[in-house]
Amino acid sequence: MTFGDFQAVKDTSFDLPKGKFLTILGPSGSGKTTLLRLIAGFEKPTVGEIFINGQPVNAVPPYKRAIGMVFQKLALFPHMTAAENVAFPLKMRRHDARNIGKQVERYLELVKLGGYGTRRIHELSGGQQQRVAIARALVFEPDLLLLDEPLAALDVKLREEMQLEFRRIQKELGVTTINVTHDQREALVVSDEIIIMNDGAIQQKAQPVRAYRAPENPFVAHFIGVTNFIEAVAVSANGSTVTLTCKGRELVGVLAAGSAGLAQAARCTCAIRAEQVRIAPSQDRLGKLETQVRGQVNDAIFEGERIVYEIKVAELGDVLMKVFDHDPVGHLQFGPGDIVHLGWNAKDLHVFAK
Amino acid sequence: MSNDDKRLSTMISRRTLLHSMAAAGAATGLPMLGGTRAFAQEPQKPREIIVRAWGGSWVEALKAGVSDPFTKMTGIAVRHDLTEDNEIQPKVWAAVAQKRVPPIHINWDTTTNATKSALRGVTEDLSDLPNLKSTTELAKPVGLDGYPIVNTYGYVYVLAYRPEAFPNGAPKSWKDLLDPKLKRRIAFYNDGIGFHFPAQVAGGGKIEDIPNNMQPAWDFVTMMKQQEPLLGEDPDFTTWFQKGEIDAACTISTNAREARKNGIDIKWVVPEEGAKFDTDGLWIPKGLPANELYWAKQYINLALTKEAQQVWLDGLGLPGVVPGLTPPADLANDPSYPTKPEDFKNLIRVSSKVQVQNESDWFAKFKQIMQG
Amino acid sequence: MRTYRVAYPLTWRAMDVLEAFVAFVWPPSFRAAVPYLFLLPALILVGLLVLGLIQIADTSMRVLDRDTFLLSDAYSLDNYRRALTEPFFATIAGRSIIGSLIVTVITLVFAFPYAYLMVRTSSSALRKFLLVALFLPFFIGQVVRAYGWLIILGNQGIVNDILGHAGIPTLRLLYNYPAVLFGLVQYMLPFAVLMLAPALTAIPEELEAAAGSLGASWLKTFRHVVLPLARPGLVGAGLVVMTLSLTDFAIPAMLGGGSQDFIANAIYDQFFRTSDQGLGATLSLLLVAVGSLLVGVVFTAFGAGTLAMGGRRK
Repeated sequence: MTFGDFQAVKDTSFDLPKGKFLTILGPSGSGKTTLLRLIAGFEKPTVGEIFINGQPVNAVPPYKRAIGMVFQKLALFPHMTAAENVAFPLKMRRHDARNIGKQVERYLELVKLGGYGTRRIHELSGGQQQRVAIARALVFEPDLLLLDEPLAALDVKLREEMQLEFRRIQKELGVTTINVTHDQREALVVSDEIIIMNDGAIQQKAQPVRAYRAPENPFVAHFIGVTNFIEAVAVSANGSTVTLTCKGRELVGVLAAGSAGLAQAARCTCAIRAEQVRIAPSQDRLGKLETQVRGQVNDAIFEGERIVYEIKVAELGDVLMKVFDHDPVGHLQFGPGDIVHLGWNAKDLHVFAK
Repeated sequence: MSNDDKRLSTMISRRTLLHSMAAAGAATGLPMLGGTRAFAQEPQKPREIIVRAWGGSWVEALKAGVSDPFTKMTGIAVRHDLTEDNEIQPKVWAAVAQKRVPPIHINWDTTTNATKSALRGVTEDLSDLPNLKSTTELAKPVGLDGYPIVNTYGYVYVLAYRPEAFPNGAPKSWKDLLDPKLKRRIAFYNDGIGFHFPAQVAGGGKIEDIPNNMQPAWDFVTMMKQQEPLLGEDPDFTTWFQKGEIDAACTISTNAREARKNGIDIKWVVPEEGAKFDTDGLWIPKGLPANELYWAKQYINLALTKEAQQVWLDGLGLPGVVPGLTPPADLANDPSYPTKPEDFKNLIRVSSKVQVQNESDWFAKFKQIMQG
Repeated sequence: MRTYRVAYPLTWRAMDVLEAFVAFVWPPSFRAAVPYLFLLPALILVGLLVLGLIQIADTSMRVLDRDTFLLSDAYSLDNYRRALTEPFFATIAGRSIIGSLIVTVITLVFAFPYAYLMVRTSSSALRKFLLVALFLPFFIGQVVRAYGWLIILGNQGIVNDILGHAGIPTLRLLYNYPAVLFGLVQYMLPFAVLMLAPALTAIPEELEAAAGSLGASWLKTFRHVVLPLARPGLVGAGLVVMTLSLTDFAIPAMLGGGSQDFIANAIYDQFFRTSDQGLGATLSLLLVAVGSLLVGVVFTAFGAGTLAMGGRRK
């Protein structure tokens, strides 16, 4: 898909088995919404083909594709009631008028809006409007449900509630779903599978746990979770275990799935999650952690359930590392300027070849 | 007011022996002799007087024939107000009704419209203008007492045509306009003015029956409607002839002559049933300060001199109201430029009073037929 | 303190003086009256209009005496009798009302796609072109535009020239009812587009995509989503076009060839041609009444669409 000279989506081939919940995750401008519009049929691909149920659909206009979509701003019809909104796709598809009422009521029940049918859209709360939009997208039993960041505008509590609601409804109906979001938490919570996109290309496609635990490139590592990056040079490799050096300091890590084979002295990017680094006032408190460094606290941010420290590590070239501490028992706390010791296990250091 | 009248009559007695233009020449010298005080009996001169006029070649002709000589003679500037005649009328009426000074000193008006103002009583009597003595009876408005208006020239609603469209020669009768070939190719005034009277004759009626029985006229207009004529106002006729929209029209000869001056092959006739003859005139609204009234009267008086008429009416191509005028070369012996009594034989003239009392009915009737 | 005073700009001090003056002239306790003060000019204008209408109503009940060309002192309903019974006025009223309705429908039909394209196009060049093409006629007055049509549609005009080359004999395109309606539509189009554009802008594009994904073809989307949501704009534009057409003077006068008078032309005739201000006033009031009636009918039929979105159920 190209806009003028700009390629919005390129090189994005993937399959989605029936009944799965897939999330396309990426920053704004990564092409995820364009991808969704391509699937819905609002845009036409310049090259490539989209198949639904094994049928090519490039030549099929949106209104003939059996796709339900929940829009970013919901796109509910303000001149209709909740029930009229839900009935709209049935009327457009010329369903038997006698069954429409029943079907609409069933789906309003499904989204827990039984009895709200006669309300006008502006008389409903944000969460209720979400539910109407979901019911409207599902009522005609589409082959595919598309969610275009419909939760983005909600406050955190409601968003988390709706995420679980999406999950519940999707499991209940078993409808194949593609969700688009830039919210990594949402992606991890609701999905069977995640596709991480950047610059119009797929960075990684994996189940949530794998996407988090085994990022295939620095972008994925950076986009999901809070990650520290260390630039280093490869010294030797033994299977997937790599020995590297950074400012003369030896590091051991695991080669990421995406990076095959490392040349001697290859420049690498190493990544380690903030929660996988232990922080301690003295070295002996770090126990048997394989890699240990000394640092100085630059900043400490109290976030309630945890404290986020920013540590300057001189021996790794003054790199600033983020470290979570949620020791619920010790209530340890460091202030800026304190000397601390950091440690982590080699298997948690992901090594990406450049 | 009576004082002014006396002054005017003393002037008249002084001037009766003089040719009016000679008097004008003498007056021209006045400002050089020390302004208005030179003659104690002469009222104070206003800085300017305002004359309502029609625009274009009309006002140019008036300026050359009357306004410029007047300024030269008296030193009083003349401003021409080009408000349409029928739009100035309610303003003047309102001013007189509210006892305000009217917006103009002199109105150049159709005799019919002026008669309405006269009937309403907003016009000054002009009977004492000295030069009226040397005018023909055309200057006197028909059916009114005295001279609430002075007619200054006449005009004819001729049948103007393009000879090209009449290969068998000039039309002789208004009935010739019923030729199917002329469908959508003829034009009348949108209220039918100028056509009502000849239609009365062409429809088999009599002039004497106007206004009591005009059914013949309406029958003829109804026949004419089948031709789907264009309906317009003065400037439209010139334009339509020039743009080839029409082949024939009932219009004032001046409009046809204007098109001819612009190079269009166009002629006109007075058909056998006759053609409407009417006049335009000058009048003065009531409510002017005495001195301004005096000088406004002097303006009209000047407009009635042979010299002024000759220049003014050459521009308009219309016959004046003083004897001995020389017609423009292109209009000598033209039916639209009557000079001799026999020229008037075929022209229909109806008193202004009858016209103003009935014309709104005629207009309405004509429009009802044409727009129905 | 002194340094502070130096840093304190002169304009601020000027504003202080001004504010003190304003506070003196208009003490804060008067502040509640300010909104009403701003209302005053509008009230005066409306008041003048009402006074004028009362004056016209008074004149409309006086009959012209053709012996003196004065209006009668006594009141009479004779002018109303004439206006309502003489077939000429019925003809003209019918022509004006039917004409304004036809013009309204055609104008809206043309203006809608224009406004829609202008609002929805992704090409800013096209949008600019459409805007310029829309505003250009505004700089050219109604009369000049009508003259333009006289030139273009005349027997020797461009259109007949082209038809002539195609072997079609010269057609009379002007001076008839269709020519007047055509002129009015052309005159009204920009008004309608300008009234419609904001209403269409207010319809989120996503709604149309949503309708598409829910199974509505382009036509059904238009019928069930765009049209109902554009109703406030359509009602507003329709009212403006209808009232302006109903009361128009110049286009019927110029493109009608004298045979297609609208009510305003008849009023002009009474005031300025036959000097009958009484009948003119009567016709004016009746025009106001007819216009108000039409507006009332539209409001009851389509709701006060310009004021509220909701209102009607299917």
